[in-house]
Amino acid sequence: MKNFKIFYLLLTLGTIISCTDDLNVVSEDPRTTTPEALFSSFEGYKQALAGVYGNLSLTGTGDAGSSFLQGIDAGTSQFGRTLWYLQNLTADEVVWSYENDEGVAELQRNTWTANNPVVLGFFSRTMAEVAFANDFLRQSTPELLASRGITNVNEVAEINVFRGEARVLRALAYYYMMDVFGKAPFITENNPVGFKGPQYNREQLFNFIESELAEVMPTLKDANTNEYGRLDKAVAQMILAKVYLNAEVYIGTSKYAECMTQCQNVMAGGYTLNTNYLNNFKADNHTSNEMIFTLQADGVRTQNYGATTVIINGQVGSFEGNGSEFGVGGWGGALRLRKQLVQKFDGGTFTNDARKTITDNNGARPIDITELTNAGQGHILHKFSNKTAAGVAGPNSTFVDTDFPLFRLADVYLMYAEAQMRKDGATNGSNVKNANTTSIGYINDLRVRANNGSSSANVGAGDVDLQFIIDERARELHWEGHRRQDLIRFGQFTGGNYNWTWKGNIQNGTSISDDLKLFPIPSNSIVANPNLTQNQGY
Amino acid sequence: MKTIYKKLLFLFLILPFSAFAQTISGVVLDGSSNQPLPGVNVIVKGANSSTTTDFDGKFQLNGLKNGDIVQFSYIGYTAQEVRYSGQKSLSISLMEEANQLQEVVVQVGYGSVKKKDATGSAAVITTKDFNKGANVTTENLLQGRVAGVTVNTSGAPGSGSEIRIRGGSSLFASNDPLIVIDGLPIENTTTTGSTSFLASLNPSTIESMTILKDASATAIYGSRASNGVILITTKKGGKTLSVDYNFQYGSGRLVDKIDVFSANEYRDLIQQRRPGDVSRLGTANTNWQDEIYRRTDLVDQNLSIRGNLFGAIPSRLTVGNTYQEGLRLTNKFNRSTVGLALNPSFLNDHLKFKVNANYTNEKNRFADGVEGGALAFDPTQPVYDANSVYGGFFQYYNPSNNELTPQTPRNPVAQLLQTYDTGISNRFFGNIEMDYKFHFLPELRAVINVGFDETNGERSRRAGADAASSGANNNIPYGTNEYTEENRKNKLLDFYFNYNKTFNELVFDATAGYSYQKIDSDKYMTGNVNDPNLATGPTGFPRLEVPFDTVLIGFFGRTNFTYKDKYLLTLTYRRDGSSKFDEDNRWANFPAAAFAWKVNQDFFKDSKLISDLKLRLGWGITGQQNIGNNNDYLQQYNIGSGSSQYYFGETPYPIAVSARLSDKLKWEETTTYNAGIDFGILNNRLTGAVDVFYKESNDLLADVATADGSNFSNRSWQNIGSFTTKGIELSLNADVIKRDNLNWNVNFNATTYQREITKLNADYIRVGENVVGTGTQAQAHFVGYTPNSFLLYKQLYDNAGTPIEGAFADLNGDNVINSEDKYVYRNPDPKLILGFASNFNYGNFDFYFNLRANLGNRVLNVVNASKAQYNLLNTGGTIGNIPTSVLDTGIVNQNSNNVLSDMYVENASFLRMDNITMGYTFPKWLDGKASVRLYTGVQNAFVITDYSGLDPEVTGGFDNTIYPRQRTFLFGANVKF
Repeated sequence: MKNFKIFYLLLTLGTIISCTDDLNVVSEDPRTTTPEALFSSFEGYKQALAGVYGNLSLTGTGDAGSSFLQGIDAGTSQFGRTLWYLQNLTADEVVWSYENDEGVAELQRNTWTANNPVVLGFFSRTMAEVAFANDFLRQSTPELLASRGITNVNEVAEINVFRGEARVLRALAYYYMMDVFGKAPFITENNPVGFKGPQYNREQLFNFIESELAEVMPTLKDANTNEYGRLDKAVAQMILAKVYLNAEVYIGTSKYAECMTQCQNVMAGGYTLNTNYLNNFKADNHTSNEMIFTLQADGVRTQNYGATTVIINGQVGSFEGNGSEFGVGGWGGALRLRKQLVQKFDGGTFTNDARKTITDNNGARPIDITELTNAGQGHILHKFSNKTAAGVAGPNSTFVDTDFPLFRLADVYLMYAEAQMRKDGATNGSNVKNANTTSIGYINDLRVRANNGSSSANVGAGDVDLQFIIDERARELHWEGHRRQDLIRFGQFTGGNYNWTWKGNIQNGTSISDDLKLFPIPSNSIVANPNLTQNQGY
Repeated sequence: MKTIYKKLLFLFLILPFSAFAQTISGVVLDGSSNQPLPGVNVIVKGANSSTTTDFDGKFQLNGLKNGDIVQFSYIGYTAQEVRYSGQKSLSISLMEEANQLQEVVVQVGYGSVKKKDATGSAAVITTKDFNKGANVTTENLLQGRVAGVTVNTSGAPGSGSEIRIRGGSSLFASNDPLIVIDGLPIENTTTTGSTSFLASLNPSTIESMTILKDASATAIYGSRASNGVILITTKKGGKTLSVDYNFQYGSGRLVDKIDVFSANEYRDLIQQRRPGDVSRLGTANTNWQDEIYRRTDLVDQNLSIRGNLFGAIPSRLTVGNTYQEGLRLTNKFNRSTVGLALNPSFLNDHLKFKVNANYTNEKNRFADGVEGGALAFDPTQPVYDANSVYGGFFQYYNPSNNELTPQTPRNPVAQLLQTYDTGISNRFFGNIEMDYKFHFLPELRAVINVGFDETNGERSRRAGADAASSGANNNIPYGTNEYTEENRKNKLLDFYFNYNKTFNELVFDATAGYSYQKIDSDKYMTGNVNDPNLATGPTGFPRLEVPFDTVLIGFFGRTNFTYKDKYLLTLTYRRDGSSKFDEDNRWANFPAAAFAWKVNQDFFKDSKLISDLKLRLGWGITGQQNIGNNNDYLQQYNIGSGSSQYYFGETPYPIAVSARLSDKLKWEETTTYNAGIDFGILNNRLTGAVDVFYKESNDLLADVATADGSNFSNRSWQNIGSFTTKGIELSLNADVIKRDNLNWNVNFNATTYQREITKLNADYIRVGENVVGTGTQAQAHFVGYTPNSFLLYKQLYDNAGTPIEGAFADLNGDNVINSEDKYVYRNPDPKLILGFASNFNYGNFDFYFNLRANLGNRVLNVVNASKAQYNLLNTGGTIGNIPTSVLDTGIVNQNSNNVLSDMYVENASFLRMDNITMGYTFPKWLDGKASVRLYTGVQNAFVITDYSGLDPEVTGGFDNTIYPRQRTFLFGANVKF
């Protein structure tokens, strides 16, 4: 009897213990995949790389409204759109009519706080780029490749190029953090997931970007040789050029000679100006040889509420109803121009300038904007379009096919000229005219292209001072995500040197605090990472 | 899991049998009526022989030796003992026990105790205590009847309810109590096609519900017990044949509407405020709220048959059908149930089985929430328009191209009538419990319980292309055609031993066991196939979603010591493992201890006044792990859908990105201290209980901000924060009048509790829905305050008491009005919850009513906050209606600040008369073989409140239109054979 009882007990115990293994559940969901499954084939690495690039265009893996980030809606956290809001909406180029959209009113009136959702969207999205890049680097180390059975020499070599590109994307993210926030939590692939990165200031970020890009440069594909959608040496050089051009702002030391070197590297890469200015902003602009790096958009495959979707739908005028001109439905007059941008095209010189795409509905639109929410005030722009150069509209009337030009060659021409002038002694506020022949040559290349081959609007050394440069940048690059950075560099963003419509929440513009040169770290982000300190004034 | 079943089968096969010697037989009668008593337990003490009396009160016992004590016991009667000294037959008369309440059985999880021996805070409510009214879903039976328990049911037919025991113990994880039906813990998730997870259980099959409130009672359920446990026991099989048929018919109506401008008032208003829009006015007089609702019918019937199947198996079969219409046009709920219970016993009651099997078929037609649309629609426009291409309903569209006008509302009546949103759910659940009392050791029992719950649900939503409410592309609607199907399976295996032995004055009872539960589900959805922009690919449509399985394993033990039947000590321990956490944090321990002292056995033994006095003290730790289907400690990669691809060259690649991770996540833990007194006065004419409790919840599971760049999202699940709850409960039950022909029993309960957050990862976290658009959450979890407190601006008023639009107090004195000037103003928790029920019988006539009150709860009137502004007369594309409350406030503009004003928070204290019923019983129908009770009644008879909105009883204190509760007039019959 006793033995029997013991046997019975042991039997039941054995039954029980064998079940605790069931606690290790595995995924049966067809929508997801484990890292082991994904990275066991070369295709998986390409898809993961597409994920790192994709975070700049897409917000989630579902549809355009899905997002990996929570607490902010997809549109308010798309990379290109938030970058555009922070760089263009806060300056002298444009206003947004729907002020009950979260955070917009504060940005266009320069009254933002640390609770601004667009600022939060940009911070989280850009840092997510760092996280995805780091994850790709962790998953693609040579040791892991070997252990996962990726042994084909060509594949290993290609993945090594992917790694270089991921590192450039990470540097790009830190470049924007340095520009917009002046600091960032610093995290690399050597840190574990969940690591609360230490705060790097502008100098530390500057040094990292410089050394990182120099280290990675040899592994990247040569300029203009990589497939569409992937970056090359020119992108890395462009980032360095931007960083050096703004070095006086970032670290207080001028690096204009280094900037000129990088500009020359880019220009030698094989990119060429598109003979038609406007073809850079059409649905097939991915074929333009002027594009160095774009944020992709496709009406069917890469749908997003990003910069170009917003810009093109927003361009449609409230009473013009001209959506069919651009191949979109339109959003009832969301975007109008502040008069300062319009006035930069005043005068006979610009009558035939292709870059002047401004209309006022035969005088029906007043140039002055007295009410930001009145979509009938202010002139409108016709720069971007969802139609191809041949005039064929994209398949989707909401989500455009037009890529957003983040870096293009024309910018490099103007950067070279500016860097040369500053290196040779030009400073903000002085009207020294020291552009050399090369610089004038580049500026005139742009003028000739804008005037359809005619050199009637060309300039000479006596026309070009720093103020000309900043104005010409507005004419060439308006609405392309550069304005705030440019104005800060010229000392015209904060302070009272240059007041535009509704600057500082006053209709005729007023001086704003220098603290506003930097955006605040979002409150939620500071709570989550105690290493971060808030910027002054917030 | 399959291997478990095989091993079990093997275990059964090696059970020993036994048989033995001397016999006695006899009959047991009811002492006062001399009628035979069936079902009386006849036990030979200390031996392994027992039986029960049959239909004629007769019994026969074997295996007796001289000197054995034979005990006769039956619920509600005083037990008797007889010493065997060779009698061949016995005739026993049992007397009804005066203190019937003491014999009430309390389920305590893996066993039961009598109420007088219970050491934890538990309340039992049986069929005679249930609310009498139209109880479509189970939780309606106990609404307002148990101290500490609140049930908030919406007006939708068959809808689920928010059940809270002592306010709940969690902030971000679930606050729902664990619900166990016949030993099977069910999942609190509603399957596609069904209205709620409790809707499939027919209330007429329920015998009793035990509510376990404090940790010493709930800890046996360890990791899921923090919010309390409700144990539902269905009616068991009976030996005597009895048939019950119940029929109920109800006619329901809308009680009240939200005040908006009538057609003529509206015409004047537009003339006055927007004279340029007068041309947009129509010529009709429509009350849109009347148009979207209707009078409803309820038909509820059930038939219950109990008897001895094949003369040996006590069984119960219940068949029922409930058909309920909802106030919204087209809304219907139709549930058919079949339930079978078998309770055979073999081997002289050594081997007892409880078999329960239930099948439910639920058919629903769902109706969209069009209340907001009905409030805002222009009352001068008609519902129908014969010339309209949109199904003959009035809509705003351009007749030249049929394009719907942008930024105009859609006809709410059309939306209800043109949308076919139907669901069908089939559910099969039940359990088989085997209870074996060892022949060689009768104090030891082994119990195995196998439970199963399987649901298949589907939902289909269709609307034609002429339905303006369906999705539109370029302002032309494309109709809706969507289908979703879901399967859920829940399997349970419990196995435990129970040892019960009396040593002189000490009774020792120990239980030890093991529990395994596995839940898995999958869901298939097609999305709206008419949508030209429908995303494709595995994360687009059609898609199959398969969440992680949930596996819960627990080891538990409980010992009860009873000394001299006066001092009781219960010790409980449970160790639980959950598949939701990673290996390092997977297991947790949940101990509990309770002590009870029957004071009246020591001090008031002979008192005439105090008939019962018991002191209870309890302490325990319980857990919470319900954060939905998240196993974020396992890294997963999400693959982009067809519209989330990135081009490399000419080839689009679906992106692959890691989902967010959470690691080192562990259980929430709640520690509860409870002290209570159960008392009875004047021979239990008046009984009651008072409980004082204090709970502390730590390591709260929350989905909050994570360091940017470190993870693959900006939020992840973490353990942060703590909060405390303290409160007092009182329940009283009194037989005010107790005579042969006249009885009046009243029941009263009162609860007060206060919850306070003591720690979070920040000073506050904004929570809740947005008042308008995004970024306008009105509530927050604020350290030092009650959860879900309102965080709003302080409105400034002029001398006449009218609010000054957009003027808020600068509370931090920095001359800027921004989010730093918001303050915590009140919260939705009630300060006092009261319930009262009265049952009055005079002869064959009965009169019953029950009412409830919440005092001090606040509600944010979001209908006013989001709709009562003059500028909303303009919808963008046309003009719309607004609530008349705008006349009191005069607010013109709406922006994300002025909707967050504290003037919209109202005191929503209320007193609600839930049911009034009166009936008459014909006791000797059909020659005394049957009795019929006919009754009539009102449900939701009246509400007394100062709240200006539609209904003060709003979940979460956020009133942005609700599905209104109807007032139903009922007629019914209960027939018993």
